[in-house]
Amino acid sequence: MTATAKPAHSVPAQVLQVHVNGEPEVALAPPTWTLLEVLRYKLGLVGTKQGCDKGDCGACTVLMDGRPILSCCTLAVMAQDAKITTIEGIPPRVPQAFDAAGALQCGFCQPGMICSAHALLEVNDCPSDREIRQAISGNLCRCTGYTKIVEAVHLASARPKNERSPTPMVSSAPADGLRTVGARGRKPGALDKALGRIPYTDDIVLPRMAHGRILRSPHPHAKIVSIDTSEAEALPGVYAVMTGADLPTPFCIIPWTPDEHALAPDKVRYVGDGVAAVAAVDEETALRACDRIAVEYEILPPVLSLDAAEAADAPLVHARDWKGRARTSNLCKEVALAFGSVDEGLAEGAASIDQTWFYEGNTHVPIEPHCALADWSSEQRLTLWSATQVPHYLHRELARVLDIPQAQIRVIQPALGGAFGGKSEPFDLEFCAAYLARKAGRPVKILYTREEVFYSHRGRHPMEMRLQMAADAAGHLTAVDHDIRIDGGGYHSFGMVTTYYAGQLLTGPVDFPAYRFRARRFYTNKPCCGPKRGHGSVQPRFSFECGLDELAHKLGIDPIEMRRRNALESGSTTVNGLFVPSTGLQECLDVVARDSQWDRRYGKLPFGRGLGVACSMYISGTAYPIYPNKMPQSGVSLLADRSGRITITCGASDIGQGSDAMLAWVVSEETGLSPERIVVKSADTDLTPVDLGAYSSRMTYMVGLAAQEAGRAMQAKMRDALAAHWGVPADRIGVGHGVWFDKTDTARQVDVHQVLILAETAEGRPLQTVGGYRTRDLGGQYRGGSIGASPAYSTTAHVAEVVVDPQTGIVTVERVWVAHDCGRAINPLMVEGQIEGSVYMGYAEALMEAQVFDERGLHTGPNLLDYRIPTSIETPDIIAKIVETIDPGGPYGAKEAGEGPLHPAIPAIANAIFDAVDIRLRQIPFTPDRVLAALRAADVERRV
Amino acid sequence: MLRMDGFTFKAAASPEEAVRLWHHHEGAAYIAGGTDILPNIKHRIESPRVLVGLSKALPTGWCIEHGEVVLGAGTRLSELASCSVLPALATAAGLVAGPQLRNMGTLGGNVMLDTRCLFLNQTAHWRQSLGYCLKAEGTWCHVIRGPKTCVATQSSDTVPILMALHARIRVLGPNGERELALAELFRFDGIHNHTIEKGHLITHVIVPLPPSNHRARYDKIRTRGAIDFPQLSVAIAARMTGTGEACVADSLTIVVGAINPLPQAVQGVEAFTGRALDDATVAALGALIKKRCRPQASTHGDPAWRRTMARITVERGLKALRG
Ligand SMILES: Cc1cc2nc3c(=O)[nH]c(=O)nc-3n(C[C@H](O)[C@H](O)[C@H](O)COP(=O)(O)OP(=O)(O)OC[C@H]3O[C@@H](n4cnc5c(N)ncnc54)[C@H](O)[C@@H]3O)c2cc1C
Ligand code: SF4
Ligand code: FES
Ligand code: FES
Repeated sequence: MTATAKPAHSVPAQVLQVHVNGEPEVALAPPTWTLLEVLRYKLGLVGTKQGCDKGDCGACTVLMDGRPILSCCTLAVMAQDAKITTIEGIPPRVPQAFDAAGALQCGFCQPGMICSAHALLEVNDCPSDREIRQAISGNLCRCTGYTKIVEAVHLASARPKNERSPTPMVSSAPADGLRTVGARGRKPGALDKALGRIPYTDDIVLPRMAHGRILRSPHPHAKIVSIDTSEAEALPGVYAVMTGADLPTPFCIIPWTPDEHALAPDKVRYVGDGVAAVAAVDEETALRACDRIAVEYEILPPVLSLDAAEAADAPLVHARDWKGRARTSNLCKEVALAFGSVDEGLAEGAASIDQTWFYEGNTHVPIEPHCALADWSSEQRLTLWSATQVPHYLHRELARVLDIPQAQIRVIQPALGGAFGGKSEPFDLEFCAAYLARKAGRPVKILYTREEVFYSHRGRHPMEMRLQMAADAAGHLTAVDHDIRIDGGGYHSFGMVTTYYAGQLLTGPVDFPAYRFRARRFYTNKPCCGPKRGHGSVQPRFSFECGLDELAHKLGIDPIEMRRRNALESGSTTVNGLFVPSTGLQECLDVVARDSQWDRRYGKLPFGRGLGVACSMYISGTAYPIYPNKMPQSGVSLLADRSGRITITCGASDIGQGSDAMLAWVVSEETGLSPERIVVKSADTDLTPVDLGAYSSRMTYMVGLAAQEAGRAMQAKMRDALAAHWGVPADRIGVGHGVWFDKTDTARQVDVHQVLILAETAEGRPLQTVGGYRTRDLGGQYRGGSIGASPAYSTTAHVAEVVVDPQTGIVTVERVWVAHDCGRAINPLMVEGQIEGSVYMGYAEALMEAQVFDERGLHTGPNLLDYRIPTSIETPDIIAKIVETIDPGGPYGAKEAGEGPLHPAIPAIANAIFDAVDIRLRQIPFTPDRVLAALRAADVERRV
Repeated sequence: MLRMDGFTFKAAASPEEAVRLWHHHEGAAYIAGGTDILPNIKHRIESPRVLVGLSKALPTGWCIEHGEVVLGAGTRLSELASCSVLPALATAAGLVAGPQLRNMGTLGGNVMLDTRCLFLNQTAHWRQSLGYCLKAEGTWCHVIRGPKTCVATQSSDTVPILMALHARIRVLGPNGERELALAELFRFDGIHNHTIEKGHLITHVIVPLPPSNHRARYDKIRTRGAIDFPQLSVAIAARMTGTGEACVADSLTIVVGAINPLPQAVQGVEAFTGRALDDATVAALGALIKKRCRPQASTHGDPAWRRTMARITVERGLKALRG
């Protein structure tokens, strides 16, 4: 970021004495350094995290004289006389309870959260839900929806104070007939992440490491006339400076639409677009150097809305496409598909609607800001540690942009502090760190500021949706027509996939016989949108599920009944040709109807209180592998060692969702080895077989099947060896918990460790197996028919209960009942966590979050104070239930759980607002001023 | 991360030393909890050369002297939140930010909190992209859309209720100590909304002990249940007798905060004393509030909605106080 035109003063470092975790510590740092910086970067206490650096998020919470404070807003010099306790000094009770309760997802908010919880329990032995929520209300968590955190604090309060209470890895019985799958349990490594013992990218420090910063455009749309870096280069302490000209090869996550550069070479397309980068001895110097880079811009008129983008005389955000052809409009991608007799269906319905909805953009906000660290060996081999959820694609794009063979690059994804789709493509910092490190001849780290995270964005696209649909008198839908305009921002990103998903993913779990959609994505001069949890499909789900509610009311049919009458059945094919092996819509509706006492309460609550229902279906991975190839989409390798453990290596990214745990569960299931004995090493391109990454909810299904295959191969080797050893046929060998046995004489048992030794002996070489997963051809037989096609689909239903204050327009979501059909829940504790986190994120989108740009193209608040993500206080109670329709293709019948459960949150809340106060809101977020305006328009205020 | 421009740090051991240090160093600023000034320095809204540390200089806690509650300016907000002699003040302190910030922020810092604005409390890069604004480095106010006035918001949670309770502040300057009514501390200027001279130090906040028939409350409107600054705040203090529609106020003060640079003690509410605060009178008072309060767009939330909320919050607050 550029600093300011003011002269910069540097002040020499001084000796600081701080008392941390019972030890006197000395550090040499300038008086401008915060306690956070001294703890992390001088004392190596990296357990304390940074998420905003200015008091908004709570990630940096430590205890000062026993009380929680924010170390990013405390100067280290101010802490010299106090006793500081960091997560490293917190006794094990609370962290262990967090682990046992499944409260640790990505873990990044947790050191701070645990400090707050620990401080509470020191003064209050037995806190209520309310007291817990108050105590952690200054600690933002983006993963959990706070549900399991509150449970964890209760659990801790019930445990003895200064004792370790290690919970076994597996804490409940498995599913019937299975060994591990279906059992609740902890995540391998989660506790150490939360304690600061497993490093996140910014926790890694290399010798001679330099710090990089990126100079960003202050203009939404401008030509770069010239860049002069000479003054920056002359500044002492500066090691390397680069501009867009240094890395001229364009890139994109979708390989055939490369329209983006590491740094903008000739034109900037949003406020925040990178133009130059510096590596220097420290961030201060790098920033000062950025200030000395003179960029001359020729300002161009910006395109800031869908209407402006579509206007006939609109300025062009991209004058040429990736093939160099001149563009005539800002249209980035258009998809128009039709199935069945739509016009007839619309005309013959007994009731119909024709309305337009607007879904405002919003963004992921992982608490961990993006960070990348690059290092080159003397052999010109690059190692890049990055907070990415797609190491493999990053690997490919690095090779392309740096113009070196992929074989010379190693990408490592360290522990990751949340992603939600926001880290699922390459970003400028990764290329810049790599280039600067090569040029400077030393390791270079670049850590985004929170503001830069908002600019890198790739979050939810704003979408305008005109929906027409009709149903017959019995409530059966006759046709659906969606016309969608998508505001894409400055670049393509996943754009063409988004455009397809906006239409393709709507066709279940509510079925209809005729469907037409047109989706058009436009370029605008705003940060580029991309995939956020529920990529492309959350927005049209909002309009569709609200529209369905309107139709039900027009026909006088109960909205749940309306959905039941149109339910897609397991084993059927949707109107656009998606084969859906299993769907649990009816079961999900049963659960939420029962739990919410729907029949007794819907439509009968007092004015101001209401219930609303919505449902959705989502993919479990996509058939489409981003770059065309027939290689496996996921690979898993197992290696047994003589100590009785199995090490799993897999390229899959655990971004907090628990894919490492899933791998351990699957291999445990197949080998009888307890998950404690299974080591998971993931996401390191030198060591792990390729997996395509954490996107499109593909992990459990695709990685799970690959792991199952590898596990079964291991089981076969073990079985053959034991059978030979016992001299019995292989089919007499049984696999149990930690022991293998003879099925005809079950008292005859042997420890699984022994079986591994027998198998390695028989093998005559290290005991190793591999498994892979490749999707078969899926989808409709038409152009684009495979995009959105998935081997399996999850289903979700929500009922939300809201209270609307008709005088103020304030909407309070009291609770959300959610039932999610994830097929088999491999580890139900993790599945619940995914459901709860999804509901939280959907609730936030419905009520408060909006990534909005003003008439200058400026983000209206790229920080965590202006962009509000819910705290523990207002987040509703989330009652999450798992429905298991065993999918015929998934591992043990499993499907996805990470994204699907978000979708219905927004329409369920909108529909509940209608039940409460009779207004239809068609634009998110449902802020009180909008609600009040709608109430006034409907003239209902006087009814109270 | 956000980088702060260079400064040195001088810890003061007493109020006098703090004032001396401030006046001795050019470009000095006080830092108490640091929760307001450090984010501002990180945003380069201000760049002091010397920070004078107050943590050990200021009195903390409170005591009752001559029928008045004397509160030390160094009192942390989390302690203030348990001040049972002044429950409405305790409520306000307990509504500031989140728990960690209340353990850090002080009463003095909360009173002296700089005004805030959506166009101001942003990074240097963001403000450069905006072209800066009148309050810092620029010439134009993006809220008023003019070159003359800054209407950045007074956003302190304790100030409105302290004003409603007729608090005074004790201020130490190089030439000694003086007291002034808290209401006199403020003026309608978002750039400098404090009337005391720079470098003068608040050592105490003094609140007359409320009489027995006193009732007071503080309400804060914000999007989230924690962390957020007020979008609007309403403090009501009254001497009241009776309940329900028969309730009569002998005195009444209403202060509306977070609408502009000035915590606004609403003029004309005295006219509603000495008679029954029945529903019609409460509605009339609400209408007066709405007439008098014009929230600026310097704070989050639609100004028209916040104006409606001022009316509703006052009406509901009064009804709650009536009992
Ligand atoms: C995320 C976030 C949310 C916040 N939310 C709220 C909120 O909801 N409500 C709210 O009111 N505040 C809020 N704040 C602001 C702040 O935390 C509080 O106002 C706090 O009370 C400030 O006190 P301090 O001691 O930290 O002030 P400091 O930052 O130390 O000082 C603030 C200013 O006052 C001056 N000063 C301090 N003490 C004195 C003194 N004794 N005499 C003269 N000048 C002095 C300083 O020089 C500085 O200019 C928030 C801050 C953050 C970061
Ligand atoms: S009110 Fe106007 S001048 Fe004041 S801070 Fe905001 S934009 Fe700047
Ligand atoms: S990093 Fe300190 S509050 Fe966010
Ligand atoms: S676990 Fe809280 S942010 Fe990830």
